[in-house]
Amino acid sequence: MSAAFETRTDGATLTSIGEARDFFALLKPRVMSLVVITAMAGMATAPGAVHPVIALAALLAIAVGAGASGCLNMWYDADIDELMSRTAKRPIPAGRVLPSEALAFGLTLSIGSVVVLGLVANLLSAAMLAFTIFFYAVVYSMWLKRWTPQNIVIGGAAGAFPPMIGEAVVTGDLGIHSIVLFAIIFLWTPPHFWALALVKAADYGRAGIPMMPNAAGPASTRRQIVAYSLAMAPVAVLPALMGFAGLAYLVVSVATGLVMVWLSIQVWRTTEGEAATKACYRLFGFSILYLFGLFAVLLVENGLGLMWALPKVIG
Amino acid sequence: MTEPRKPPVAPAAFTGEDMARRRRRSVALALVLAGLVVFFFVVTLVKTGPAILNRPL
Repeated sequence: MSAAFETRTDGATLTSIGEARDFFALLKPRVMSLVVITAMAGMATAPGAVHPVIALAALLAIAVGAGASGCLNMWYDADIDELMSRTAKRPIPAGRVLPSEALAFGLTLSIGSVVVLGLVANLLSAAMLAFTIFFYAVVYSMWLKRWTPQNIVIGGAAGAFPPMIGEAVVTGDLGIHSIVLFAIIFLWTPPHFWALALVKAADYGRAGIPMMPNAAGPASTRRQIVAYSLAMAPVAVLPALMGFAGLAYLVVSVATGLVMVWLSIQVWRTTEGEAATKACYRLFGFSILYLFGLFAVLLVENGLGLMWALPKVIG
Repeated sequence: MTEPRKPPVAPAAFTGEDMARRRRRSVALALVLAGLVVFFFVVTLVKTGPAILNRPL
């Protein structure tokens, strides 16, 4: 157990006064909700089925594992979090949770979630969850984030793994369905994150993080946002063309994909003043809705069996 | 270069509010542990299935 207080290098004494909600905040609940819905979609689109209780238990383990990696990320990044307006109020920089508590909490949940997933589901899914936690906490947080402007591109893989873990829970194997879902999230991450990074470039600059707008400049970032959106939108339609999504998904993915591309073009074209900031926030906000929407439709179609099936065009 | 660590300063005593926060945290932890007991019980039943009753008496 962590001590009730800790002394910083500057001599200040920090006391352990964090409440449950502070520890919950360490798990990045909004990211967790995205992980839950994408992992559920991975389970729903997998060929086969598991007992609903096992599916729920596995989802809980995946969500906690994702939360644990978020907690370890906040523990490692506490020094830069306090420099940025977006993250300064997080529990560690705000002084509500001690760094040692966050580390212990993150490690305990990491090990616990992997062990539980291995026991309730199978070894492959547990190994993938362990790798996902390692990838986010170590490869992304400790290495890529402060080293390369491709940080969130490569690190985005960590956020894209949950559908594959979901499929592994059901089948004990990996198939093409979850790889397509992985690709959608992977290609979605750069336009989503860079839209925010364009607005928060000064914050990242202060913290010394080489985000794309800081390293390559806003113009290059804007071009890359459009390129990734153009690549992502057709890939997001693949589930309908490959036969594991129906008519509703086809309509939603085409329509919202076009909106994503259009909003990206607005970000590219609007480069100055308040209008540029608004364009970035519009893309950032819509991108969240876009991904939730795609996976929600996949879930409804596959999980509830409400699919208007389409002829398989690919695969 | 890393700054040399200053000698530790004894913490001020916890205030009443601090103690209340720590008590609420302990209650939350107890609830999580109780939830885990139920979780493992239910999962064990489901994983084992009807065979859980199949034991020598």
